[in-house]
Amino acid sequence: MAVRVAEEWLTICGGCEVSILDIGEPLIDVLALLEFVHMPVLMDHKYYGQTGEGTVLEIPEADVGMISGGVRNEKEKHVTEAMRAQCETLIALGSCACFGGIPAMANMYSLDDLYSKVYRESPTTEPAEVPSGTVPSLLDRVYAIDEVVPVDLYIPGCPMNPGMIAEALTSLIDETPFELAERSVCDECPVKRERKSGEPIERPLQDAQFDLDGPLENMRCLMEQGILCLGPVTRAGCARTREAGAPKVPRCIQGYMPCRGCFGPIRMDANPLVDMMGALSSNGLDVRQVLDRRATFNRYIGARNRLRPLPSRPAR
Amino acid sequence: MSEANGFEPKIIAFCCNWCSYAGADLAGTSRLQYPPNVRIVRVMCSGMVHPNLIIDTLTKGADGVILCGCHPGDCHYLDGNLTAQKRAEAIDLMLEDFGLEPERFRLEWISASEGPRFAQVMTEMVESIKGIGPSPYVRRSD
Repeated sequence: MAVRVAEEWLTICGGCEVSILDIGEPLIDVLALLEFVHMPVLMDHKYYGQTGEGTVLEIPEADVGMISGGVRNEKEKHVTEAMRAQCETLIALGSCACFGGIPAMANMYSLDDLYSKVYRESPTTEPAEVPSGTVPSLLDRVYAIDEVVPVDLYIPGCPMNPGMIAEALTSLIDETPFELAERSVCDECPVKRERKSGEPIERPLQDAQFDLDGPLENMRCLMEQGILCLGPVTRAGCARTREAGAPKVPRCIQGYMPCRGCFGPIRMDANPLVDMMGALSSNGLDVRQVLDRRATFNRYIGARNRLRPLPSRPAR
Repeated sequence: MSEANGFEPKIIAFCCNWCSYAGADLAGTSRLQYPPNVRIVRVMCSGMVHPNLIIDTLTKGADGVILCGCHPGDCHYLDGNLTAQKRAEAIDLMLEDFGLEPERFRLEWISASEGPRFAQVMTEMVESIKGIGPSPYVRRSD
């Protein structure tokens, strides 16, 4: 019998769904074993009946539920709870679902601050009231899926590694365990490490020095070149490849770019900001040169309370 | 000593085994008085106290943290205290990122013979934390 799959997208750009397509040929084999019962990105299935006649939010029963995107408003919270109730296994798809993702950078500010910035203070905006009534109201911050309902499986990445989705789906069908590696991106990175560096820290978009025709193994570690790379505090996994025998290289490194940290922390409860600042300072780099530390080190992981408005200082 | 609002800060002191802890010991055996708000954690070297530990301490219940090591040049492990010093710079920046006052973390060099200095540093630290009030991360039952 085919595995029934329900897929839902919340606060998301849609890249995770593209990433599913990007599985490529192996998807054809997997598709034969799947039956999609609910997937707003592909099919027109309404929550309250096709003509809106229903009174309860209805999602068909499924064996596997996949949610991409974090939870930002009341509707998404409602949908997440319905998905959990109807799906036997729930997968958090992508960094937004796992850790809040890019939208969770807004967690640095209170809702009032966001409203006044977006609807009133921004120079290109005509001041207006905050919409209410016709649209679902926002929650106080962006939540990861597992802050709202329990999650069985996490597939991080922005976007995810297509090979990893195929692997997770296959392991669910075959009932074999699927686990994320507790290693860092550096463990899978082939570049050359020479010595600890005292280079000034540059922005991630600064050009690295490398030989375009030579093998990647000849490039010097980007962190040693002074380009801020989040590899040391980011979970490995993006380097997997579909073709057997192909070399495993982290994806951003393949493009001669530093790791941006999309796979999230190596352990779920780690704090990359503190880890990275500790590592940089122990290695003799000047941490003062890192710009916008909170956002840089929490770029994809702002939910789960990693980013929050700074506490107001008590009156002296 | 109790203040008008009765705020008694909780301060964690990480003291290295070879100098500062012995300094604390000397303060004790010399019967020197210092406020009881300080809880000492003995570590082998100030250089082994990872910034993670300091930030965790400050965000999970302590009002202040003081890291004590040997004077530069006196480290039992040659340069552990210099590592601590480098990390302290990063910790100062992270206090900013977490919205904490810079006074909540201090790095001090205290040798084994400096009992009076230990008592004095601890007294100063408690006074300064009493001045700035409780940590915003601490939820007190009262």
